Amino acid sequence: MTGQATAADHLLSQAFAAFASEPSGSGAMWLDQRRERALRNFRLAGIPHRRVEEWKYTDLRAALDAPQEPALADHAPGPLRDPFAAITGPRLVMNDGCFDWARSKADSCQAGIDVFDLATAGEMTPDWVKRNFGEVLAAGAMEQASLALMRGGLAMRVAAPSTIPVHLHFLHGASAVHGRVLIVVEEGASLVLLESHGGHSGISNLGMEIVLKPHAQMTHLRLAEAAPDAVQIEVVGIRVGRDARYQGHFSQKGARLSRLELWIWLHDKGAEAELSGASVLSGRLHADVTTRIDHVAGNTGSRQLFKHVAGGNSRTVYQGKITVRKGANGSDSRQTAKALLLGARAEADLKPELEILADDVKCAHGAAVGDLDADSLFYLRSRGLGEGEARSLLVRAFLQDAVAEVAREDARAAIWDFVESGLVEALGAQA
Amino acid sequence: MNMLEIEDLHVAVQGREILKGINLSVRAGEMHAIMGPNGSGKSTLSYALAGREGYAITSGRMSYMGEDLAQLAPEVRAARGIFLALQYPVEIPGVTTMNFLKAALNAQRRARGESEFDALTVLRLVREKAASLRVPEEMLRRALNVGFSGGEKKRLEILQMALFKPSLAILDETDSGLDIDALKLVAEGINAMRAPDRGLLVITHYQRLLEYIVPDRVHVLADGRIVAEGGKELAHELEAKGYAGLAKDAA
Repeated sequence: MTGQATAADHLLSQAFAAFASEPSGSGAMWLDQRRERALRNFRLAGIPHRRVEEWKYTDLRAALDAPQEPALADHAPGPLRDPFAAITGPRLVMNDGCFDWARSKADSCQAGIDVFDLATAGEMTPDWVKRNFGEVLAAGAMEQASLALMRGGLAMRVAAPSTIPVHLHFLHGASAVHGRVLIVVEEGASLVLLESHGGHSGISNLGMEIVLKPHAQMTHLRLAEAAPDAVQIEVVGIRVGRDARYQGHFSQKGARLSRLELWIWLHDKGAEAELSGASVLSGRLHADVTTRIDHVAGNTGSRQLFKHVAGGNSRTVYQGKITVRKGANGSDSRQTAKALLLGARAEADLKPELEILADDVKCAHGAAVGDLDADSLFYLRSRGLGEGEARSLLVRAFLQDAVAEVAREDARAAIWDFVESGLVEALGAQA
Repeated sequence: MNMLEIEDLHVAVQGREILKGINLSVRAGEMHAIMGPNGSGKSTLSYALAGREGYAITSGRMSYMGEDLAQLAPEVRAARGIFLALQYPVEIPGVTTMNFLKAALNAQRRARGESEFDALTVLRLVREKAASLRVPEEMLRRALNVGFSGGEKKRLEILQMALFKPSLAILDETDSGLDIDALKLVAEGINAMRAPDRGLLVITHYQRLLEYIVPDRVHVLADGRIVAEGGKELAHELEAKGYAGLAKDAA
């Protein structure tokens, strides 16, 4: 491990020791090799901190080292509500990093959906798991940690077009938890996934791998909130095949430290990814959305629209790197990230990055941090709206187009309710 | 009592004095026109009256219905019956025009201690006014001013004036950028607002609008001062001589 071992390192090695002392249930060469390699790499990299460029706005080591405030030491649980509860569909539950059969309603999955408990991975594991698990996400420190230190997880394969959305709900206790999810959408198949997080007050580190085969489609909608002292990390790696399409929406209310990484490889021509999201932060909360889109092949498309609002003393981070590889001609990438500061001590860090190695590409990029527009505020007040009402209306207007990207009406309504409920606190915190 | 009484008003914007001693009074039932070249301070006067932040009154006084305006927030002035139609109405994405009209109307009513209107009542009131201003239903469902043409934005300003029924309406270059049909429509909207208990202050750069509305009094503003005043014939004189000629006469 580089540098001094810290409390944070200690915490993770403890978690590992606990894992190693249990019968792993594997004994399968393919799996043990991948996990041992991940553990070696994680130990080399150590826990990311602010001197690691990609983590400079999100100092994970400092957050893990920070002494717990006594009032928070008993880990008040985060909200338990599932913001997508009103939408019917099969429900898969991950509890403290493990797939929880008892709480799930997996049998209501449509024909063509297979679910596999990663805790039982071994020699008898289906081929589609063996081929993909641990192969999409294996570069960054935290995804290596989740692979090496996981106690279980969920794998799902979708082999037919499905219309009923599948809920994926994460329950987290107060401990340090690593978990893994693998989703494979086969050729021509489609999936709508509603991801939500509840009760989260400890430290969680999730790694999610998504493989979209040619002509596959996936809509992935994620709403994340947690207790104010939680540390919430999720790394999602998405491999998008020929003429396949991934649409993701990611809205969050932050945590003591919250980091969402989206790694997207547009692997073959016609592959497309559309990302949108809103962060609504108040108090001392933090939320980091880091995206990396790799146009591996030509004639691929990516679009991003992120709108972040920071009230109180909160901090919002967006980092987005787009790479268009040599020869990936005809690629089209658009990226917009905007942040609105509502609190005098709030902070926004936006870091768009572009690496274009191909000749014939279209790229449009915009990033801006700002305050509410004075002309708009005056216009509304001159028509009789009070200052608070006018501000709140303009903040809603600012966020609205990021949520409008979600095509499904029932999901869009649930996302808007989620964002609005966070806004009440973000706007209130400024008064 | 005059509805609006402006006495020796000096207003500075970002430390620079724009209005250098304006005197003006408007009685209920009157329509006044303020004319002047670009940069003469016309919009500054309208913003100062509506209470925009950053328009500091360095001396003098504005009173409305006998009350000093200076300390009142813009929304308080709106609730008391002051309306400003902006030269450049602002686009607000994410808020439908209809919802905005309802929110504004009810905010004013709440502030006056009146009961709020329900959605159906507001819809009926808006439809009544919208028809004569040729504002289609479809426009009311779109986000406020977003993608509206110049003429549509101005018509919507007039629609708001008709809906809010202000005691004092200030129209800041509502005629600019309109073709002749739109101009006539806006002028009709302004004329329809004339009432014994209402004052109108129409700010314009061009004499053209005054072919369709007949002000009781015309004031010419240049370099932050009123340099000429008279009846509606002053507008024609202005047309002939231009602002420069008139300013010379005044000096």
